[in-house]
Amino acid sequence: MGRRRRLAGAVAEAGAGALPKVITALSQSLPAGPSPEIFRRAKFDRPEAAPALWQLLFRLLSPQSADGTSASPALEAQACWVKAALRSQGYPRLVLAQLPEDGSRGSRELLLALSWLLARGPLPERLLAQAHVQLGDEMPVCECEALASPGPRAPHVEAEGPVDIRCVQWLMGRLRFRWRCLITSQQEQCALLSKIHLYTRGCHSDQRLGHLSVAETEMLRDPEGGQQVRAGARVLAPGWACTPGPGPRSFWNDVRPGRGGADGGRSCAQLCSAFQLLRRLERENVGLEAALEWRRGELVFWRWMDTVLGACPPEAPAAATQPTVLPRIAGRGLGQLELAARELRALQEELCEASERRRAAWAVGGQGRGPQWRSARQALQKAVEQELAALRRAWEQDRGPARPHGPHRLVRREDEAPGGQYLRAAEVIQALRNQEACLEAALHRLQGQCRQELARLAGALPGLIWILPPGR
Amino acid sequence: MSIVTVQLGQCGNQIGFEVFDTLFSDSHSSQGLCSKRENEAYQASCKERFFSEEENGVPIARAVLVDMEPKVINQTLSKAAQSGRWKYGQHAYFCQKQGSGNNWAYGYSVHGPRHEESIMNIIQKEVEKCDSLSGFFIIMSMAGGTGSGIGAFVTQNLQDQYAHSLKMNQIIWPYGTGEVIVQNYNSILTLSHLYRSSDALLVHENDAVHKICAKLMNIKQISFSDINQVLAHQLGSVFQPVYSAEGLFHYRRNPLGDLMENLVPHPEFKMLSLRNIPQMSENSLAYSTFTWAGLLKHLRQMLISNAKMEEEGFKDPALYTSWLQPVDAFNVWKTQRAFSKYEKSASLVSNSQFLVKPLNMIVGKAWNMFASKAYLHQYTKFGIEEEDFLDSFTLLEQVVASYYNL
Repeated sequence: MGRRRRLAGAVAEAGAGALPKVITALSQSLPAGPSPEIFRRAKFDRPEAAPALWQLLFRLLSPQSADGTSASPALEAQACWVKAALRSQGYPRLVLAQLPEDGSRGSRELLLALSWLLARGPLPERLLAQAHVQLGDEMPVCECEALASPGPRAPHVEAEGPVDIRCVQWLMGRLRFRWRCLITSQQEQCALLSKIHLYTRGCHSDQRLGHLSVAETEMLRDPEGGQQVRAGARVLAPGWACTPGPGPRSFWNDVRPGRGGADGGRSCAQLCSAFQLLRRLERENVGLEAALEWRRGELVFWRWMDTVLGACPPEAPAAATQPTVLPRIAGRGLGQLELAARELRALQEELCEASERRRAAWAVGGQGRGPQWRSARQALQKAVEQELAALRRAWEQDRGPARPHGPHRLVRREDEAPGGQYLRAAEVIQALRNQEACLEAALHRLQGQCRQELARLAGALPGLIWILPPGR
Repeated sequence: MSIVTVQLGQCGNQIGFEVFDTLFSDSHSSQGLCSKRENEAYQASCKERFFSEEENGVPIARAVLVDMEPKVINQTLSKAAQSGRWKYGQHAYFCQKQGSGNNWAYGYSVHGPRHEESIMNIIQKEVEKCDSLSGFFIIMSMAGGTGSGIGAFVTQNLQDQYAHSLKMNQIIWPYGTGEVIVQNYNSILTLSHLYRSSDALLVHENDAVHKICAKLMNIKQISFSDINQVLAHQLGSVFQPVYSAEGLFHYRRNPLGDLMENLVPHPEFKMLSLRNIPQMSENSLAYSTFTWAGLLKHLRQMLISNAKMEEEGFKDPALYTSWLQPVDAFNVWKTQRAFSKYEKSASLVSNSQFLVKPLNMIVGKAWNMFASKAYLHQYTKFGIEEEDFLDSFTLLEQVVASYYNL
């Protein structure tokens, strides 16, 4: 807060007219941002501002709806989601969790939550990066972003009474089937992409690329984009039930020689004609300008937020002791790294303390024991050393040449690509295979532990025979 | 997404032909009772699933035919070719000169490994013809030698080679009176092996289908062909396209995946039954438990009484096991298009206790034979040991117990 106040003085002369301008800029850089009037009403906790803010927070927190294509659920569901997502991200104010889910109240609390999200990191920038217009067929080459932000955890639900284990197994089975369907869809997508790349070989003006991407093919196929909207509204192809996102199927049917689009498949809102592309680029520009504007005038907003905070009734002391995170403009991924490093340090301290205590207890308890105990201890020490060495090796390997990051454009080439900025698919596949092997090893280790635990439990119940379930 | 059908043995090949013929005639029937556009979408969807296209325009079934005797395969191939409307792939079959003599062990341990490479190669070629593979539909008998033995072997291989693809086995439950003396042995071996390697077992009882032919279709001298046609009609009614959700006018892309996700997520409950109306009446419900009789009665009533489907009757929690909510346990899929000359029809695929009694009986009979070591040497001489039988018994006893405790 201190920093904000000091800086706030510097921009005090910006005048009263600056605030609506800054809030407008903020709204424009967020998906479906509400008007400055909503913000003003939220300061006074007016109920009519609440639905728009619930909606905004839902859009900001739910990963799929950043592109604005998926349908929004009912307000109750949105409110429920927002609460869960904020809680899982460590939002400190308890008042929010107690708000009614019908979306009728709490606009000031929601405004505070929004500013908390803004203060934690470069939110508008992140959203703009997510929604930026893609011309090529892009593909992430690493899973680090997915791993770094596993998304909000499902809200913890207390079951009423005991849960039948079969129900859990049933749900698990459903998940497995969905996963398999997803893999099939992805394989299909890859196969069709490859066909489009093959068929449009030599069509691209850029010699380095050689072939067209899905978006480019679509622009050639339907430059006006007019029919497409109508056709999309009329029939969604049988081809599109479960493959999300832009898909190559409809193009393939159209560009394929001698065959009509048997599926009638023209569908995706994300696939753009030249006209739509232009519009999307314009929108993106507006968003970028607004984000710049917001960054310039941000401090006016924070000063105003201080007055909002001042208007709040004081909270319970338990919540007030939570550390406040100051707003900052962090580089891409830097903030997460810092956070992780801090957590790591804390964990290390905790670990050292725990192990010291454990060692001391061990030393006291072990004195009176025989050679058997000593050999067990030696074996344990050896195992720990091996594990440590393995970890070190993995660490050294990881520290080698910088691993590729972020989305890359997919380009099919017959000849050897010149080195430098290009990344070969084989290398990416190899890296992913290595990662898969590591994860599998970890899985096996965990499964082994589970099995031992099961065996221990089974041993504790004499007269009981354990039969493993068939398959899977 | 496409489904590759594997037809095994006499039974599997004969049924497979009827299934493809039913699917094709239905999708090209002029009695679809719907708009032209709807009909075209339906046809395209059916074709993507079950047929591939060749230069001369005759659709080719996405199927692989396997038998150890050439007779049935030749008949099947020529019947399809004679129809002039669709045919099987030129190299999509595998046959030998000598059968398995109703010995499961011979099919599984001798024929299977010996011809593994050839069969799996043919299947792989068929898979490569698909833009995207949803999974495999494997049609076989349960009690014979070739279909059931090689079927179990091939399913296991598919599980190894195509672990992510879905596998549904259509198995024919033998007549209770019995055609083969060792049918109970063969049956428990088939079932236990499939339970390990397949995702879902869609079971048809010969007795039940026979009764449909006799009571409902009024056929005097019932042939296998009649029975197979009834079976094919039922299977077709499930595999033809349906809408993916209320208000979304596109057909399901991954019918096998959607079916399995809803019906067999629990690894201990994999046995599915299939009912279809109008075609059956309450006469055929003799082997159903009371609840299912009620279900079918309702299925029937809602068809007779009102053009609109009313689903209220299925929301009764008493119909389902206590650990599932009706909304999770029951799903309705619809299409406006009529199926196979029936203006209105409904099919019900269920995972229920309907087979517990027959299964328990087969396990019991097989156990009695096993206890007196009858015919065991015929199996041990081809490498199926007593230990394998015991494993099968254990697994199936567990399945029976799980279903009883639902």
